[in-house]
Amino acid sequence: MSLNRIKIESLARVEGHGGITVDFKEGKLSNVTVDIHEGPRLLETIAQGRTPSEVVSLTCRICAICTLSHRYAALRAMEKALEIEVPPKVRLMRDLMHCGEMIESHALHVFLLALPDYLGYPSAVHMAPEYLEDVQAGLRVKRFGVRLMELTAARSIHGENPVIGGFGRYPSKSELLRFKYEAESLIPDAERGVEILRNLRQPTYMEEGMTFMCTKPEHDRYGWVADRILVSNGQEFNAWDYRKLTNERVVPHSMAKRSRFQDKPYFVGALARFNLLGERLDGVAGEHFRRCYNLSWIRNPMYNNVAQAIETVWALEEAPRIIDKLLTHEEDPAIVAPSRDKGAGSAAVEAPRGTLYHHYEIAEGRVVHTDIITPTAQFLDMMESHIRVAAKNLTDEGDTDNIELKLEMIARAYDPCISCATHLVKVRGL
Amino acid sequence: MIASKTQAAKPKVGFYGFTGCAGDLLAILHCEDELLDIFNAVDVRSFLMASSEVHDDEELDVAFVEGSITTDHQLESLADIRKRSKVLVALGSCACFGGPQTARLGYGDWKERFKKVYGNTKHTVAKPFESRPLDEHVKVDYYIPGCPIDRYQFFFALTRLAQGMSVELTTFPVCAECKWNENECLLLKAQLCLGPVTAGGCDSRCPSHNLPCIGCWGPAAEANVASEIDLLKERNFSAEEIVSKLRLFGGAAMVRRFADLLGIKAEVPARRPRPKKVREPVVAGKAKKKSPSKRPAAKSRAKKR
Repeated sequence: MSLNRIKIESLARVEGHGGITVDFKEGKLSNVTVDIHEGPRLLETIAQGRTPSEVVSLTCRICAICTLSHRYAALRAMEKALEIEVPPKVRLMRDLMHCGEMIESHALHVFLLALPDYLGYPSAVHMAPEYLEDVQAGLRVKRFGVRLMELTAARSIHGENPVIGGFGRYPSKSELLRFKYEAESLIPDAERGVEILRNLRQPTYMEEGMTFMCTKPEHDRYGWVADRILVSNGQEFNAWDYRKLTNERVVPHSMAKRSRFQDKPYFVGALARFNLLGERLDGVAGEHFRRCYNLSWIRNPMYNNVAQAIETVWALEEAPRIIDKLLTHEEDPAIVAPSRDKGAGSAAVEAPRGTLYHHYEIAEGRVVHTDIITPTAQFLDMMESHIRVAAKNLTDEGDTDNIELKLEMIARAYDPCISCATHLVKVRGL
Repeated sequence: MIASKTQAAKPKVGFYGFTGCAGDLLAILHCEDELLDIFNAVDVRSFLMASSEVHDDEELDVAFVEGSITTDHQLESLADIRKRSKVLVALGSCACFGGPQTARLGYGDWKERFKKVYGNTKHTVAKPFESRPLDEHVKVDYYIPGCPIDRYQFFFALTRLAQGMSVELTTFPVCAECKWNENECLLLKAQLCLGPVTAGGCDSRCPSHNLPCIGCWGPAAEANVASEIDLLKERNFSAEEIVSKLRLFGGAAMVRRFADLLGIKAEVPARRPRPKKVREPVVAGKAKKKSPSKRPAAKSRAKKR
């Protein structure tokens, strides 16, 4: 295998094992680090020299919970590189599968991972006896997301049905209709998450101004896929200029690389999307957004939980709209073949937890360069910063009861890929 | 008191994840209808992804372990889990075979690749090394393959193990399921399908969607390997293409089985001997309690490798 270039600047992946270390010296906060212990996989180097379709199957395995966002980003980047234009039905199917992932991931995070903190339980299972209806509502919404992914991608995790140039198989009309009605019937269940979170008091000890980033769809509606990136300072970038936005670097305490924009940490995720594009939200979700939004949303990452709950409602409203459009396309298009065997392509999509970039370079039908920047890698510095502010404020005020939980809740609000999210904080020397 | 007695009667189970995508543990969380039942049927002592209540210093009846081992810390914690568990189950392709991160095992280029990704930064969190499946480090009692695992295979295994019974999963390849699903054969359409050699249990998911099997469940116990190689070579696929596809998910395990047929012996990594202290766990004063009857007698299919 002859390789003319390997220039890899992005992480293996983040989901899984991380930690937070807060150091004190003589009672004073001296250092805060979010440590990522996740073992390195070097998947970018495994991609080297493989065919584009093998690499699509490989890179979606970076993360189980963002698998379809990875696949969507990979397909878009590969298709740009290989000059493939997919028909409208393919784009609609991909948007539908993306809805499935948002619904599943957000319902899991809001109901099963975040809510137990607010209500004082170690898990949703412990929460169930007291809050059975809420847990079951969350599970119903989550299960619908899982099934929507199964319908569109063939499997809820690492579904192989979406391929370069199209889909292996399309769902039938009757299946689509069934999913449409089910989505509509689940909106009240999803709204329950919004209502619970809206009535809880959000802690404020970590508040600090943030820079936000998200993809900006060309149309004037809300959405998760675009070639333009919007930053909260008003600047806009092309997705293929993503390196100017992310500026990755390696740090000793983390197997995940870190990102900074103009030397400042930044936030990606539902909260960023709502701060930048929230006005575009329509329907019931739009109403919830306008009722819940307040100025703390630009300083307080805890509102990411509320934003995710509202985004779940929007996804349940959007899925039937996509299905209606899908039903107007009778013919199942054949998989589009590439028109060339070399090229370069970058693409951005919004994963549930923030903007995800994939970049590939292909020569003689083989991938020669892979660069992937995940949302968690981008917001780790911001998370570290919010935890530092919280640790300082809490210790200055002598409010150190349950400090581990308080700091963990901040990390969880970011919804880092889930296994990181559950048990994070280690406080030393206090 | 009665309540605590009932609690004690339930088998103690732990769920652990190492290097991988966490997809196998997530697949368990995706059992929405059964999730609360699972947590009621067994005494879950550790499931970090789902609950912050963790008891990691106790003996377990069954440990389910996902992911492969890539750092010294993981190796220590795997050894500890093994020591505390009567039965250890490898969950998913990464734990069973090493997964995609072992796709280049044996090429000897890991250090170089690590440097390409991370540069010269000295990591303080852990000492990393090239990925290996669980059974190259500790004894594994059962293998539930899959990328990710199938929930029904997991239910089956959990139910049997919770009652102290043995587990036998599918030994046939994807190809068999494909026939039951009456799919058109993709090999006949000259596509590089790994269905004939890949472990079944996924309900031939990809061929049922008109897509070739990519081998993500690892090697099947009852596969006619020679015939597959002949078929693929007849269809003008090169040995390089075939090896590349087999290695992507089957990792070391797949290549070991195909080496002779493909003439790639030189690249096959040696099986690393397990450290002795880990292989024979001795818990002071407790070792004698372990009766052979507690460990299911039947061997899993992967033992036949």
